[in-house]
Amino acid sequence: MSHRREPWYITILDRIRSSRRIKVFLLVFLPFIYLIIFFFAPFIIALMYSLGMFKQVVYEFVFQPQISLEYYYRLFQYPGVLVAIQRSFYYAILTTVGTFLLSYPVAYYLGVKLPDKYQEMVVLVLFTPFWVNFLLRIYGMRFIFHELGFLNMILTTLGIVNDPIKILGTDTAVILVMIYTYVILMILPIYGVLEKLDKELLEAAATLGASPVKTFLKVTLPLSVPGILAGSLLVFIPAVGEFVIPELVGGANTVTLGTVIYNFFLRVKGTMGWGLGSAAGLIYIGLILVLSYLYIRLVGGEIRLG
Amino acid sequence: MSYAVELENISKSFGEVQAVKNVSLKIRKNEFFSLLGPSGCGKTTTLRIIAGLEFPDTGRVMLNDEDVTDLPTHKRNIGMVFQTLALFPHMNVYDNIAFGLRMRKVPEREIRQRVKEMLEIVRMEGFEKRKINQLSGGQRQRVALARALIIKPAVLLLDEPLGALDLKIRQHMMVELKKIQKEVGTTFIYVTHDQTEAMVMSDRMAIMKDGVIQQIGSPHNVYMRPVNKFVALFIGDAINFIEGTYKDKGVLSTDLGDLKVPELSGYTGKSVILAIRPEKFFLENNIPSDIDNVIEGRVIFSIFRGSFVEYRVELDNGQEMVIFQPYLVAGQKIYEDGSRIKIGWYRDSAVILSH
Repeated sequence: MSHRREPWYITILDRIRSSRRIKVFLLVFLPFIYLIIFFFAPFIIALMYSLGMFKQVVYEFVFQPQISLEYYYRLFQYPGVLVAIQRSFYYAILTTVGTFLLSYPVAYYLGVKLPDKYQEMVVLVLFTPFWVNFLLRIYGMRFIFHELGFLNMILTTLGIVNDPIKILGTDTAVILVMIYTYVILMILPIYGVLEKLDKELLEAAATLGASPVKTFLKVTLPLSVPGILAGSLLVFIPAVGEFVIPELVGGANTVTLGTVIYNFFLRVKGTMGWGLGSAAGLIYIGLILVLSYLYIRLVGGEIRLG
Repeated sequence: MSYAVELENISKSFGEVQAVKNVSLKIRKNEFFSLLGPSGCGKTTTLRIIAGLEFPDTGRVMLNDEDVTDLPTHKRNIGMVFQTLALFPHMNVYDNIAFGLRMRKVPEREIRQRVKEMLEIVRMEGFEKRKINQLSGGQRQRVALARALIIKPAVLLLDEPLGALDLKIRQHMMVELKKIQKEVGTTFIYVTHDQTEAMVMSDRMAIMKDGVIQQIGSPHNVYMRPVNKFVALFIGDAINFIEGTYKDKGVLSTDLGDLKVPELSGYTGKSVILAIRPEKFFLENNIPSDIDNVIEGRVIFSIFRGSFVEYRVELDNGQEMVIFQPYLVAGQKIYEDGSRIKIGWYRDSAVILSH
């Protein structure tokens, strides 16, 4: 048998195939690099901007070795910033509560009551509005909420109100559209948990004398906590940072933290705009982290306590 | 006499499938009663109807002389142990067992006392704070049993609860269940497809097939006097059938010659099946002098099974028989493959079945 040299790439592939450590390394390394470039690096850069570590020289940002909290200080002097932060959380909390109240009955019906064979189809149907582009849907909502729009037409025709009511530009419009946009993110995780719920547990509760209401409160609800937890974080976190919806269906009185950050970067510009915008962004991240942690501790603890 | 459970002409269909057909049952108080049959025979549906987890299309369900046919599960005083056990994963052992008492608004002081007693009965003292996923299969079994028994149900329903356990633990749990039943004195209704479980534990059992009860009786009665071929085959390790025509005065005409069989009236001239259990035979020198039937056969092969030897014997008509011989003495003779042997049995150890 003659000795045949393998091409170099075969040799490398064989090495990879034969070594578990190389495989794990490749598997973890590439996503890790991706995260560093697109997630950690921008985060660090934003942190540096917020701490005043760049100064502007003509059109270029130049690094300067200093750390100052000036932008954070200036941020809170800025008119409307505190109100915008409060408003963001107000919207996000109402959106989370609203989506939860709408989602739970739907997810419960889908996961517990509906026979398995229909479930996939109904979930697919629930998704159909989301095949349409986000902006188109928001503009659609503008038509519905407009003073001469669909909603007012119904309200006046039915005689519930005499004159068209103003919805566009108000908190109500922003919250309603946010609930509409985010509701599916709440339904899916709760449905996921309820669909996997062992239905014999509910029967077991009944044999032990639990009425349907008691069974729900003592068995179904506690066991759906992981889904509620996932759903509310999926809704709450982006809802706090939401700036497109307030911009499109809101008005002068619906400025949110997201809008503030957007304005700093794209309207104020310069080291001032970037510094203030970065500081606002980091405050947003910090608040989200703290609140999410507290929330998981609070609600997640329920699972263990029963 | 009053019964713990009475079913009167219960029928239940799921779409096209009739799961239970006109079932009537009377289960006595403090009885260990088994519903036995192959999968799809309607035993679990029957149990679920007693529990109120299914409602019958026709018929009546009585619990302790009270008509509960339309009563929802949580208003019937029943306990149930599910096949999957259905222990609440978000609660520890104590909270699982206390669940039924809490639903009944029993004061927490009393609950603590009763859970303690219950854990003693199922031999799980000190496990109160354990989580369900920290328990072994046998321990979960006991918790499920304790949870169902603590509410002092009129009847405890068990749906193949031992199915998931290893053979050794299962054998242990069978005896354990029987003991616990005697100790608490509650009516147990036990659903299983495993005839050994039913034989070991039951006071009486009902054998079901295709939604119909085939026979109700004690393990002894069902084993010794099966009413049809299905029951005869389903109960016990094995059984031999010999076809023939019933002549008068307890004689069966077969292609092995005339055989003496139990005397029955009304069977004269009818084509019937003679059923004989494998351990009812005597071989060669062990055949008593007053034996009723002796035939001959050739040993095909033998299997040493420890406490007995299993022979496969070919009769002169080509039919194969299963014969168990107790292995009583060390060095006892085991008949060699190919050897011809005499086989004897008493007429009353066999049963006549109609086709």
